[in-house]
Amino acid sequence: MDLASFARSLEALEERALSSVAAAASPDDLARVDAEILGRKGELRELLGGIGALPTEDRPRVGALANPIRERLEAAIAARREDLELAAVEARLAAEALDVTLPARPLHRGSLHPIRETEREISRIFGQFGFVVVESPEVETDELNFQALNIPEDHPARDLWDTIYLREPTERPAGAPRRLFRTHTSPGQIRAMRASTPPIRILTPGRCFRYEAVDASHAFEFFQVEGLMIDEGTSMADLRGLLDAFAHAMFGAGRPTRFRPGYYPFTEPSVAFDIGCVVCDGSGCPACGRSGWMTILGAGMVHPVVLRNGGIDPERYQGFAFGMGTDRITMLRHAIRDIRAFLANDLRFLERL
Amino acid sequence: MRVPLSWLREHVEIQLSPEQLADRLTLLGMEVQGIERIGAQWEHVVVGEILEVAPHPGSNRLSLTRIRTGEGSERSIVCGATNIAPGQRIPVALPGSVLPGDRRIEVTRIAGVESAGMLCSGAELGLTVDADGILILPAETPIGVALPDLLGDVVLDVDVKPNRGDALCIVGLAREVAAATGAPLRRPEIVVAESGDRTEDHLAVSVEDPRCSRFVGRWLDGVRVGPSPLEIQRRLMAAGMRPVSNVVDASNYVMLELGKPIHTFDAEAVHEGRIVVRAARPGERIETLDHVERELDPEVLLIADPAGPLAIAGVMGGASSEVGPGTTSVIVESAIFDPVAIRRSAFRYALRSEASLRFEKGQEHALARTGADRTAQLILAWAGGRAAVGVVDTDPAEPAPIRVAFRSGRVNRLLGTSLPDADQRELLARVEVTTESAPAGTPIPVLPGEPPVASAPEDQVWIATIPGHRRDLVIEADLAEEIARVRGYDALLGRLPSTIMPAYREDPWRFTDELRHLISGRGFSEVVTHALIGPEDHRRLGLALDDAETIRAENPVTLDHSELRRDLLPSLVHVLADNERQRRDEIAIFEIGERHRLALGEPHAERRLGVLAAGAIDPAGWDEPARQAGIGELKALVAWLADRLGEARVRFLPAEPRPGIDHPGRTAQVTVEGPEGTIVIGTVGELDPRYLAAMEIRAGQVAWADLSVAALQTLVPGRRRIGLPSRQPSVERDLAVVVPETLPAGRVEAVIRAAAGPSLGALRLFDRYRGAPLAPGEVSLAWRLRIDPGDGPPDDSAIDSLIGAVVASLHDELGARIRS
Repeated sequence: MDLASFARSLEALEERALSSVAAAASPDDLARVDAEILGRKGELRELLGGIGALPTEDRPRVGALANPIRERLEAAIAARREDLELAAVEARLAAEALDVTLPARPLHRGSLHPIRETEREISRIFGQFGFVVVESPEVETDELNFQALNIPEDHPARDLWDTIYLREPTERPAGAPRRLFRTHTSPGQIRAMRASTPPIRILTPGRCFRYEAVDASHAFEFFQVEGLMIDEGTSMADLRGLLDAFAHAMFGAGRPTRFRPGYYPFTEPSVAFDIGCVVCDGSGCPACGRSGWMTILGAGMVHPVVLRNGGIDPERYQGFAFGMGTDRITMLRHAIRDIRAFLANDLRFLERL
Repeated sequence: MRVPLSWLREHVEIQLSPEQLADRLTLLGMEVQGIERIGAQWEHVVVGEILEVAPHPGSNRLSLTRIRTGEGSERSIVCGATNIAPGQRIPVALPGSVLPGDRRIEVTRIAGVESAGMLCSGAELGLTVDADGILILPAETPIGVALPDLLGDVVLDVDVKPNRGDALCIVGLAREVAAATGAPLRRPEIVVAESGDRTEDHLAVSVEDPRCSRFVGRWLDGVRVGPSPLEIQRRLMAAGMRPVSNVVDASNYVMLELGKPIHTFDAEAVHEGRIVVRAARPGERIETLDHVERELDPEVLLIADPAGPLAIAGVMGGASSEVGPGTTSVIVESAIFDPVAIRRSAFRYALRSEASLRFEKGQEHALARTGADRTAQLILAWAGGRAAVGVVDTDPAEPAPIRVAFRSGRVNRLLGTSLPDADQRELLARVEVTTESAPAGTPIPVLPGEPPVASAPEDQVWIATIPGHRRDLVIEADLAEEIARVRGYDALLGRLPSTIMPAYREDPWRFTDELRHLISGRGFSEVVTHALIGPEDHRRLGLALDDAETIRAENPVTLDHSELRRDLLPSLVHVLADNERQRRDEIAIFEIGERHRLALGEPHAERRLGVLAAGAIDPAGWDEPARQAGIGELKALVAWLADRLGEARVRFLPAEPRPGIDHPGRTAQVTVEGPEGTIVIGTVGELDPRYLAAMEIRAGQVAWADLSVAALQTLVPGRRRIGLPSRQPSVERDLAVVVPETLPAGRVEAVIRAAAGPSLGALRLFDRYRGAPLAPGEVSLAWRLRIDPGDGPPDDSAIDSLIGAVVASLHDELGARIRS
């Protein structure tokens, strides 16, 4: 064999190889072609193994002939590989195409109860002013629920609270106060006062019980949040400012507010706190009894008797308390017309929040 | 209290519209809860004159009348009443009017004769209860006047607070209006035209019980019992009272006008004219005005005569001495009773009345005499007769007025104002409270019923003299309220507190809120259910109906809500049942709430987290089937929760099922190994189908968990040390452990964890296989161990020896072999 025929063999190899590369239909195909031509036992290597048949002086020139061919083949294989990979990705993507307008897979929504969320919102707002939640028991004594709050036995003000009492399983010891389901969260105030010293800023939220016929605005189990602030100079003006801030945070900055005189045995002076009707914005509607105002809470300066019963000197200290129905605040906030919805737990209702 | 404006106007001039007046009263603390217009339905009802009453040609029960309702306006109207006569003035409903009860008046033919309207009775107008005949108006009533202009009224519904018994009457509210507007109060002019012999010639009163502090009696004779004047009936009706007779109406009128409950007796029925106020005696009985025979408790205060009980004091009179049509002589009782005694009597007999309500709030001493005189005056005016001279009065001495010292500075400190002393005094003067300067150091009544507290030398002290009717003004704070109230709260400017902040306190809701947000984020809906559940709910939990630890209500609203729940489960199952009824059967709910019991006689509440799931927990989509809620789903939730809260790893152990409630093969106790031993978190499982059936649940499989919130909270570390992860990648090794099927997988897991030690990052069971080539009764548990190699250079041999130690432990402790 002479160099010229060797060169022709190389050229023939290249031609055949290029057409095999071009014909490779998949990366696997191409890898096989690659191995057949450029591999350790490939055709090129085999051809170059025949170099011994050449005259000695021609042998060094084989490299100059074969290397460009090898490079061209390598480049062709690389190019082909890239094309094939691209095509494969495109084919895969095409195959994976979905109708993205299909509805999302349903996940259970989950929700938080509106009463709890309103409690939290109330506590968050008053928390900004240093008030902290203190919880207290639902089963209370007549002493803490009434007497310590300046509501003695047989006081006409007891009419304000229809009470559910505990059925005592055994005779109570003489002098032990009657036990009941708390009618308001106010006994928490007495507990908090007895457990700490001024300055005091607390919220006592929770479930309350009253002997009430159930209708759209009355329930025998309901929720209240009560606030108490006591210091040396805490005044009605502070109460007014704080409640205004609360009403504006809860019901919007422009909401009008007013104090009007009220009556509670445990506060003196006592006030009712009204906001402009959230339904009609003050123009008068059935929801506000056409008055344009809605009462959202009762408040006042803690009665000296209550301070004394809480172990606090009423000459040195003074402060205010306020109490609101969490149910009512929630109803106003979320336009709910029936208090019974809260304990009914219809998921269609709950899943709105 | 219902307040007819026409009546109120008699005692104070009012320039305001009803709405403006309502606002003023409300801002004064006398909340007006409604405004009713009487006569709003009297459109086209006018005053007419009867010109002629002729027999009806077609009926002998009817009359044909000719009526004049104005100049040149005559009409024929058929009428069935018999009390009509020519010359009378009567209300005529013209065609087009719509009377109360939606009664439409048109021109009609009655028994063949045309009738152009209707002559009205008081009842048909909704004005009086008297339906006996046509309402005959006074002879001087102008003809043609629209009836609303004549008899219409506006009635305010005023909510008088329990501390203001003095305002529970027309004059009391007129006094408030006067304070608000500055118009003078017009008290009724009370003059009794007495004649003949003296009251004590007919009446003797002895008070034998200290619960009656004053009894004023009057005696009248020659009285003719009959209906009250029309205007009086109208007023009483408008105020919500039923007219009875002139004598009874007089006592009711005085109660509404002055707030003084009065009782009248037929004097003939009072033996020997002797009245005794005393406690009831054992075995005594009385038939009260409502014709109910009542046994009297010895605690009850009575009005009696020598023959026995006449009335339950302050609550209700007796039938035997009731004033009736034949009564000619009358004893008027105007007494002051102990408020508590009356309240107890009224409650004892479930006879709370307008009268007892006023006695309960306490009565001004002077009102006893005023009320007796006013009643006598009105009886004389309406029923004629003669009032004997003078009164019988068991305590004629007027008590000295109450004087309350207050510091103007403290008033300002309480209110957050800087009102000058002169302003404070002027505001009090508007409600008839006079003030005078007091020497420095004058003691101040801070607490009611306790010795006053010395004031500081620099305090300006005033002494307020309280009018007798204001029994609510007792201490300094009461005067502060009165000053603020009369001034009006609109004038009180708010400010934010600028005092010292209290010490830091942990928010108790922080942890429960974290739980709520975590669980709801997993698709569960928070519910809030009744704390009171029914005895049947407890019985189904296996608790006896008389279980000593259950807290029960003495007077529940309904039996279904009469016991404090011992467990959250029944409430959650009820929520499921209710929602199933709404065709909602995929449910995942939770509640954080208390379970209650009596422990050693004391109530004990424990906060629990209850979770319940039924139906698809992952709902079916178009490409995936639903996954049904079971114990597995809730175990996953609980394990995840513990991990999130404090990287805690829960263990599930077989738990003792409650028979008929828990699924016996699917109930697990949840525990965590803590540094101080095992913490029991709660229980997770499924419910027994028999329990579900009893609770009317449709779902066949319901999973639930009951966890202790306090135990969960112990999982949260105070301050969590996180550090940094290893620089080396984690290493994964799989081990297929062959054990007997009866061996709990939890044991295998525990052995692996113990042998692998702290470098075991995660352990996951990824396959559970039974069948060939395993022997029957064998199971292969395939675990993937994720090992944290530490920070040193990679060391395969260390990993290998760790795996070797695990394999050895599995073999030694459980006899397990490794399947390769």
